[in-house]
Amino acid sequence: MALRGLDSPLSVVPWAAALLLVLSVERALALPEICIQCPGSVQNLSEVALYCKQTSDLMLHARCCLNRKGTILGLDLQNCSLKDPGPYFPQAHTAIIIDLHANSLQGDLANTFRGFTQLQTLILPQDVNCPGGINAWDTVTSYINNQTCQEQRNLCNSTGDPEMCPENGSCAPDGPGRLQCVCAEGFHGYKCMRQGSFSLLMFFGILGSTTLSISTLLWGTQRRKAKAS
Amino acid sequence: MAWPNIFQRGALLSQFSHHHVVVFLLTFFSYSLLHASRKTFSNVKVSISKQWTPSAFNKSIELPVEIWSSNHLFPSAEEATLFLGTLDTIFLFSYAVGLFISGIVGDRLNLRWVLSFGMCSSALVVFVFGTLTEWLHFYNKGLYCSLWIVNGLLQSSGWPCVVAVMGNWFGKAGRGVVFGLWSACASVGNILGACLASSVLQYGYEYAFLVTAAVQFAGGIIIFFGLLVSPEEIGLPGIEAEENFEDDSHRPLISGAENEDDAEPNYSIQEDKTITQVKAISFYQACCLPGVIAYSLAYACLKLVNYSFFFWLPFYLSNNFGWKEAEADKLSIWYDVGGIIGGTLQGFISDVLQKRAPVLALSLLLAVGSLVGYSRSPNDKSINALLMAVTGFFIGGPSNMISSAISADLGRQELIQGSTEALATVTGIVDGTGSIGAAVGQYLVSLIQDNLGWMWVFYFFILMCQPPEMLTRVKAGLFFYTTGIIVNDFYHCCFMNVLNGL
Repeated sequence: MALRGLDSPLSVVPWAAALLLVLSVERALALPEICIQCPGSVQNLSEVALYCKQTSDLMLHARCCLNRKGTILGLDLQNCSLKDPGPYFPQAHTAIIIDLHANSLQGDLANTFRGFTQLQTLILPQDVNCPGGINAWDTVTSYINNQTCQEQRNLCNSTGDPEMCPENGSCAPDGPGRLQCVCAEGFHGYKCMRQGSFSLLMFFGILGSTTLSISTLLWGTQRRKAKAS
Repeated sequence: MAWPNIFQRGALLSQFSHHHVVVFLLTFFSYSLLHASRKTFSNVKVSISKQWTPSAFNKSIELPVEIWSSNHLFPSAEEATLFLGTLDTIFLFSYAVGLFISGIVGDRLNLRWVLSFGMCSSALVVFVFGTLTEWLHFYNKGLYCSLWIVNGLLQSSGWPCVVAVMGNWFGKAGRGVVFGLWSACASVGNILGACLASSVLQYGYEYAFLVTAAVQFAGGIIIFFGLLVSPEEIGLPGIEAEENFEDDSHRPLISGAENEDDAEPNYSIQEDKTITQVKAISFYQACCLPGVIAYSLAYACLKLVNYSFFFWLPFYLSNNFGWKEAEADKLSIWYDVGGIIGGTLQGFISDVLQKRAPVLALSLLLAVGSLVGYSRSPNDKSINALLMAVTGFFIGGPSNMISSAISADLGRQELIQGSTEALATVTGIVDGTGSIGAAVGQYLVSLIQDNLGWMWVFYFFILMCQPPEMLTRVKAGLFFYTTGIIVNDFYHCCFMNVLNGL
């Protein structure tokens, strides 16, 4: 992690790709832990199952709904006797739909959903509030046995503070009710101070050839006749 | 006073071959590049201190640690700025020490090798300091300090070597004006450094260091292949040989006639002029040369005032008049401009008079007036710029002249003719003493300004102009004597005995 450095958020992309690759390779052998930590599979009539069957590309595996690349798009952990979502839960940050109802979840879920930016439907036990509060969601519906949070809101536009981030930073959603400052378009590096990339090849090409020609010229006109000293 | 031979000899320019032009340009730009890399450091200070510190931004919004606050070399930007100021001081001191050493080394080894090695190696150190540590994300205070000490030592090889080479090529006939023009190299370097740094700063400060270091390295290579350190290297007659044909040229311009009377014969290394003696002068011998210690001390005072203007002028302007820092930065160029014009013009006049000391004395006398005038400048940018240029003319001019033309005169005076290898040592002593003065001055100025206010800083500057003024008046003793100023005769008696006895 330390070696990975801070060069740019762009460097996250190959990392994420590598992670996905690893995940998809692993899926051939084993599913992500979050999908199998709770025995059984997605129930046929659950919301996750309905969502997964809408699209032919998606497949149900254990408790997860995965696309062909192995990305988790749906997670059904209902009736798993969970007290908390567990250490593997962040694996599901790409999920669009998550079902956690019929568990006796305790404590605040605000930090649990950090980074869950894609999440559009979250089904929670009846007594658990939607993470981020009512303002973080377009629709919050209470049913007899569960609570459904739908359509995550982007709070960046609603705060009305144009300077909410440091210089060159820009606001980005970071899961329900959460915001973070990432680098604005075109900026990268520590504190987003860098812009564009320096062409080392061109610079050293020009400098090297200029040096060579001036050196040759001066050697020819000046030092060629010099006595060795 | 006879009109100088430069007019009788015909145009000064006709004496110069293409070798002279190339030597002038190569030495000019090699020192410019060294100065450019120093300027880069001061121009990227804001970026570096941002890089070394975590973000000081407290709003409810989340700042991912990796992007905003993973670097903790310093807790706040103020402490980073303080550290950068310390690096400046460290650099000045190690530069001063290095000047004494590298002058001696330059006279013993080939000037071209020393200059080339100094440029390339200091470029490498700058590269490690600014680029490599950033690429590896290795930030360490101790490493930064030691690298900057090494950089100061290596950079100091530049000035003594380039002045020595220039002194080898340009005889004292046109030395004042040529050196005056040539000493613009530091200012040109400042502008070059500022341009290079600002053009690549958007890619990251490490590229500002990379670009200046790479260009400096390239300059070192070009120097190695292209520089002729003296006319003798290609079989041309040296300037001494030329000058020996002329009657009046045995006497260096910096001194009055009195040095010849006082000179002790055992200083004279050369006995037979037909044998080229290349044995280098020792550090002690160089110090004993008439005028070296006097001008070193004078230069220490002048460089103190000069560098204080460089370092503190933008701060003073934005502090005292409330002008924006970028504007104050731009405005402070006028001091440089005044210094270049002053150095060239005064150099020319001193060539015509064939004496440098009276010109310096007069200039420094007027410097006091210009300092008083400048300290009472109204809050008007154009008037201030004008006064600044005038101050630069009378302070920067003499300062440039002492560090270049006079150093060359001192290193080539008739006492050591034949042993041409005193130039770099003498230049090193003069500039090294000056740099110590400058380093001490930065501290004193901040102290005086904190405790007594800006007015006292100017009084301090005026006070610092007195020793050089007095010294040059003593040096110009004969000049004033003939004009009948008896007080100067008194000065002359007292000081010359002390100074030449050293």
